Amino acid sequence: MKRLQLQRWSSSVLSPRARTGGRLQQHLYYNLRRQSTVSPAPQAENEPLFEEQSLNSSTHIPQSSHFKYLLPSPPVEAARESAKLAALHARLYLPSRLPLETLARSLVDASADSNPNFNNEALATLGNDLLSHYTSEHLVCTYPRLPLTVIFAAMYAYVGPKSLAAMAKEWGVEMAAVPGGEVDPGLLQFKRVLPGTDVNAGPVTGTERPNEHRKSWRKSMTSRVVYDNEYGDPVGVSGESATPESQNTQGVTAEHANATFVRAVMGAIYLHAGRPAAKRFFEQHFLSRHLNISDLFNFSQPARDLSRLCARENFEPPVAKIISETGRKSRHPVFVVGIFSGQDKLGEGAGASLLEARSRAAVAALKGWYLYSPLNVRVPSSMEEEGAAPWKPVHVDLGEVIV
Amino acid sequence: MPVQGIRAVTTARNGVGAFILPCKRLDFHYCDWAGSSRGMVAFLKNTLPSFAKANPQIEIRVSPRPHKHPVIKGHYINGREKAVCVRNLEPEQIFQKANLLKEASGEKLKRTKKPVTSINESVRGIWSPYHGDLKSV
Repeated sequence: MKRLQLQRWSSSVLSPRARTGGRLQQHLYYNLRRQSTVSPAPQAENEPLFEEQSLNSSTHIPQSSHFKYLLPSPPVEAARESAKLAALHARLYLPSRLPLETLARSLVDASADSNPNFNNEALATLGNDLLSHYTSEHLVCTYPRLPLTVIFAAMYAYVGPKSLAAMAKEWGVEMAAVPGGEVDPGLLQFKRVLPGTDVNAGPVTGTERPNEHRKSWRKSMTSRVVYDNEYGDPVGVSGESATPESQNTQGVTAEHANATFVRAVMGAIYLHAGRPAAKRFFEQHFLSRHLNISDLFNFSQPARDLSRLCARENFEPPVAKIISETGRKSRHPVFVVGIFSGQDKLGEGAGASLLEARSRAAVAALKGWYLYSPLNVRVPSSMEEEGAAPWKPVHVDLGEVIV
Repeated sequence: MPVQGIRAVTTARNGVGAFILPCKRLDFHYCDWAGSSRGMVAFLKNTLPSFAKANPQIEIRVSPRPHKHPVIKGHYINGREKAVCVRNLEPEQIFQKANLLKEASGEKLKRTKKPVTSINESVRGIWSPYHGDLKSV
């Protein structure tokens, strides 16, 4: 498989300065606000319209010593002079092909600068797609039997906004009090919400789900795959299109801004350094974090689930047997109960009553089933590497039991 | 609902995968007049450029602090800071102090009693009194 020459492609699309006629245009528009990396997607299609678009979208800036104070976010030239930004670039071991200007742009939230040529919205959208793609393929291939609710929870744990905000903090990213053109570009720039604002006040509207006004109707698990986002949360379509305006007035939370920054860094690495570097960055920073997936299960009736599972897999029906016990008549009895299917012991648990021990044993048996992980797992995106071995199909399971 | 997912947050393991240096900023304060800053001024003139070049991941600030002893302050990822007074020290000693701040984790100093600290589960498992041989009284 031939690798896409991303660097060449992205440089021609991303930076108007890197073009051949750049010097002339610079001379013509020298007092315009310019970006060295422009959002790639819309311009890639209508290449000839590019110059007019950049001309129209850029705003006239008076060339005075105070012009910095008029800008909503730091000018592009300031990125080279920021010690914070250079230190952050080196601290993350970012590839040298990723310029400081792009890193500075990924630090500007849409609430600080609404101009899409200068904020990180486009980079964050790309980074979010990459992150959810890599995480979901890792989870589905490594644990093929995980129930969908647990996959949603694990996705949230790996690339959810809480984890990403924690990562930005561990990367040493500091936040600017108020965004502005004179601020150091190494600080995360976003408009803060006013204290006392209820962040998740109203229900999400504008989802594509039919009958969304019926609050009491059941939402099936499979419909969540179609209508909801990667964490199983409802996503508002009309709400998203309205967000830039509402964000400009209200601002965003620090957690949201930090998560957007981390996603934007991922998107920027993909654009400037290519797919292998993005994948390596993902494995080193996201996948290396610790998550105990067996803690994400919450069973309501484990014994019933286990008997349904055994019926589906044509095992003998599960039988709970006491393995050992102590102090049955005392204040602190302990029972050790095993769940057997024929001769095979499926699980074992200890509890202070027979029922508790039995349900713990059933949970252990169910976790043993759901947490099955094949050896030498390969993910589909590993085929993008050069010289990859031929693909062998991964284990695909029937899925969770339906009760 | 047969099984529900519980939302959690992954925990960082710095050094597993990527390593982020905990020291993010070093502030060097000196005084132009006082004699206790003589070593610090020599350090800033001669050693600091190479130190900064060797540690690009640390933001370095140099600022005068008149009529005070020279100080190096380290700012860390966990939000804490460490300050070392370097009055009357030679440039080599100041370099050692800067290295000490660079390599520190920013945590409070504490005594480690166990050889290994880990968030991974024990491979061998925890001893259980209800398993193994039954003891007859």
